[in-house]
Amino acid sequence: MSRRLRRKVSRKGKEKVVAHSYTEFEEGVSTSERNGDVDWTCLPDDTVIQLFSCLNYRDRASLASSCKTWRCLSASSCLWNSLDLRAHKCDLAMASSLASRCRNLQKLRFRGAESADAIIFLQARNLREISGDYCRKITDATLSVIAARHELLECLQLGPDFCERITSDAIKQIAFCCPKLTKLRLSGIRDVQGDAINALGKHCLHLIDVGFLDCLKVDELALGNVASLRFLSVAGTSNLKWGVVSHVWHKLPNLVGLDVSRTDVGPAAISRLLNLSLSLKVLCALNCPVLEGDVNFIVPKIKGKSLLAHFTDIFEGIASLFVDITSKGKTVFLDWRNSKKTHKCMDEMMSWFEWILSHSLLRSAENNPQGLDDFWLKQGAPLLLILMQSSQEDVQERAATGLATFVVIDDEHASIDRGRAEAVMRDGGIRLLLDLAKSWREGLQSEAAKAIANLSVNVNVAKAVAEEGGIDILASLARSMNRLVAEEAAGGLWNLSVGEEHKGAIAEAGGVKALVDLIFKWSSGGDGVLERAAGALANLAADDKCSMEVALAGGVHALVMLARNCKFEGVQEQAARALANLAAHGDSNGNNAAVGQEVGALEALVQLTRSPHEGVRQEAAGALWNLSFDDRNREAIASAGGVEALVALAQTCSNASPGLQERAAGALWGLSVSEANSVAIGREGGVAPLIALARSDAEDVHETAAGALWNLAFNPGNALRIVEEGGVPALVHLCSSSVSKMARFMAALALAYMFDGRMDEYALVGTSSESTSKIVSLDGSRRMALKHIEAFILMFSDRQAFTAAAASSAPAALAEVTEGARIQEAGHLRCSGAEIGRFISMLKNPSVLKACAAFALLQFTIPGGRHALHHAKLMQNAGAARVLRATAAAATAPIEAKIFARIVLRNLEHHQAESSKGL
Amino acid sequence: MSSSPPPSSAAASPSCPKKMIALRSSDGETFEIEEAAALQSKTLENMIDEDCAGTPIPLPNVTGKILAKVVEFCSKHAEPGVDDESLRAWDAEFVNVEQATVFDYILAANFLEIPTLLNLTCNVVADMIRGKTPDEIRKFFNIKSIFSPEEEEEVRRENHWAFE
Repeated sequence: MSRRLRRKVSRKGKEKVVAHSYTEFEEGVSTSERNGDVDWTCLPDDTVIQLFSCLNYRDRASLASSCKTWRCLSASSCLWNSLDLRAHKCDLAMASSLASRCRNLQKLRFRGAESADAIIFLQARNLREISGDYCRKITDATLSVIAARHELLECLQLGPDFCERITSDAIKQIAFCCPKLTKLRLSGIRDVQGDAINALGKHCLHLIDVGFLDCLKVDELALGNVASLRFLSVAGTSNLKWGVVSHVWHKLPNLVGLDVSRTDVGPAAISRLLNLSLSLKVLCALNCPVLEGDVNFIVPKIKGKSLLAHFTDIFEGIASLFVDITSKGKTVFLDWRNSKKTHKCMDEMMSWFEWILSHSLLRSAENNPQGLDDFWLKQGAPLLLILMQSSQEDVQERAATGLATFVVIDDEHASIDRGRAEAVMRDGGIRLLLDLAKSWREGLQSEAAKAIANLSVNVNVAKAVAEEGGIDILASLARSMNRLVAEEAAGGLWNLSVGEEHKGAIAEAGGVKALVDLIFKWSSGGDGVLERAAGALANLAADDKCSMEVALAGGVHALVMLARNCKFEGVQEQAARALANLAAHGDSNGNNAAVGQEVGALEALVQLTRSPHEGVRQEAAGALWNLSFDDRNREAIASAGGVEALVALAQTCSNASPGLQERAAGALWGLSVSEANSVAIGREGGVAPLIALARSDAEDVHETAAGALWNLAFNPGNALRIVEEGGVPALVHLCSSSVSKMARFMAALALAYMFDGRMDEYALVGTSSESTSKIVSLDGSRRMALKHIEAFILMFSDRQAFTAAAASSAPAALAEVTEGARIQEAGHLRCSGAEIGRFISMLKNPSVLKACAAFALLQFTIPGGRHALHHAKLMQNAGAARVLRATAAAATAPIEAKIFARIVLRNLEHHQAESSKGL
Repeated sequence: MSSSPPPSSAAASPSCPKKMIALRSSDGETFEIEEAAALQSKTLENMIDEDCAGTPIPLPNVTGKILAKVVEFCSKHAEPGVDDESLRAWDAEFVNVEQATVFDYILAANFLEIPTLLNLTCNVVADMIRGKTPDEIRKFFNIKSIFSPEEEEEVRRENHWAFE
């Protein structure tokens, strides 16, 4: 029995390996006895080579560098059949170091004209296939030398970028040097002249596939003489004389496939070519406006020939070409691929068709012309998915790029077409993309990750991506050493982290650490990857638990570093947003303080509020707002020039987005918590812009401005400024008509501070004539303010409930009043001892301010409020109970003041009982 | 996604589709496997072709412990109507074993020439390698081989390009 094995093995020449496996077993050592201590370097050669083939070049290099055996095997020629250098800048030194392994290299892909110059130093004289992109600058000289050094070349492709500097001279050189050429596809050549084409026809007798794509001029007459041609594409080429084409090309005796997509071909030429050519099977005319615009055009029905256009059924057209495949419609490609029998002709045709189709679809996706919705849903999306399963790697890549592109309908706002995204999902596209993303080929990884990222803007797709295990895949791609791969993967994590659903899963997959590491890895010179990583971290940091992970992974330092050093605005914006979100969990974790402790963090953010880019200013102000919740950060921001910067920002944001206005006001609100800052804000001119923002119609903006003005008004100097700058009508307007209860409440409190008497004392200090006029004008303002404060209080006072509460001492009656008066969000407000003290003394005010103060204290002490206990303690220390009891019992006080005071007393009792329980 | 039919089972004799093949491990254990499942192994296929399959086929290179798992693997992959999705999950669980067992799977898959199993196990090892530096790989696989300083320099020069 083992005889047979030996024979097999010796045929493969792997004696050494087999000998090894035999000794293993002859010794009779079982796995469990070996105790996990296996010698991996003894793996059979075949399996090691297979292992290498699962890895990208970097991992192959690492594995090869780890031991002698594997180093030897890494040079096996079967691992060097094909080489993709697109991710590398190939120079002379690199090419020379590879030369010894490229002796049998068959296939090479490269990127850029500089790399093209180095190709000859690979000394890969057996190269059959060269394919290059980003070759705009490649010259005739370079291309001619490449042709001269690779006489066995069968296939040469340069594109899709236009090779503007290539002329017919280089094409002639190719024709002279490469007699075995079968395939030549060039993009963007200005003028492909007759003599060049004739040279190809004369010297390259096996030339069957020519593509002159997106050229300005091609000699159609000469092309008609290249009798060997089976496939021809002139997609996107202009200035073709269709009269000549239709009279000449149909005579090409072997022409099977012709691609005239994206040209101005008309119905006459199409009909003539289809009718007259004896060999033609496929005529592809996607995206041809003249043809599509002709309503009278009837697709000629000729057996064995198919016209493929946006208005024809492409799947049926292809299926009809197969005589022995009975499949209908969409399964034709799969049936062809799974078919055991080989039809050389059909295989060639299908491979060509996949290639030109992937090109045309990608171009259509990029230009996104109107009116293709139906085409994309019914044909485009399924075709792209099928092309992703092609055996041609470049077709797979283009299809994935096509998927990433065709769903985006608005680049600016990153919005995608829901129908298209869900069509991709419905047809199993997510699984296909994830499979591509798992391949070791980095070109596929990055394009697939890009498609997943774009599609994940749609929440349903995002869900499917998560369910299919996409988060783990993206997190691992984010660790790639290839910047493009990492960038697209980070983009995917960014989009997936938008909602609440996937944040936890991303953290669990190690995504947080991977993203933070990306920032360190590409801290210089990777704008795209940095922006995406910071954006994803910003989303993740919005979640309390994830924000802890971000900090744990060193994210605070990384993000501060970006905010300080990165010059790219997109990165600055996302870094600032991430810092804002990190600092947003002030009560529950220490990240807020941690950000402030990073050297230069606050200074950098202050600096960013002066950015010329609105998004950066907005996020920086937002970060400073959140950071100012921490007492130490607040003062540090002020000493870093925050007051001046934020006042300047507020002064210049009258035409900015509501988001920026809100954050500018919010940051000033945050800083104004301490009276010193408050005075500084007033002095720097912050009052007027805040009043302007208080007039905004946007709820978030005027609410925040009201908060800032409330804080500022505590200081009598600022209060006077508010009056002088016309703040009273603005606040009165807010207090009576804002849709936000909070805005009304804080406007009322601002007015209460302004007119509780302290400002008058302040205003009196000054020259006598000035102050008299001031006081006169103050009287009018005061009357107006008090009137509206009263109206405000009444809005929260239900007559019936008040009467009931006045008549009974039952807790239920008071609870009902509390419910009617309660402003939910007011529970988030935190007052200092001085502020509480001021409200307590306001309780003694004979005017409506008495009720207003009681109302405010009620809000601040409602059990369950975040700072209620803190306020209760402050009130106890200030001896509030006595004053409250007096208010509640006063015969002359309005009923609102009395009832509210009683409720505050009950709240205080509640907190006292709670805290003694705690003891 | 529809599951594609199992690879053409031209060799399976149509008269008795459930034909069983017996295998004997290096430590003398005998296992039964459906012929259709056994055909995933090119080595076994050749033996069956040569009609050596009358008596238990001795497999001197595979222990009972590993052979049991390999039979399980082949049977699962030959299961009619098993869908890609569940197979994927099943495979992931199958190779969720300690390093030494993966090593034995690779040897068995190589010896028996079972491409699906070889591919699966090589990918598991590839996953272990991905992103590691040469030093980390050496530590991970407990490799003692040391390059001489000259070799070290050559190795560095050879592989420098891939790390850029």
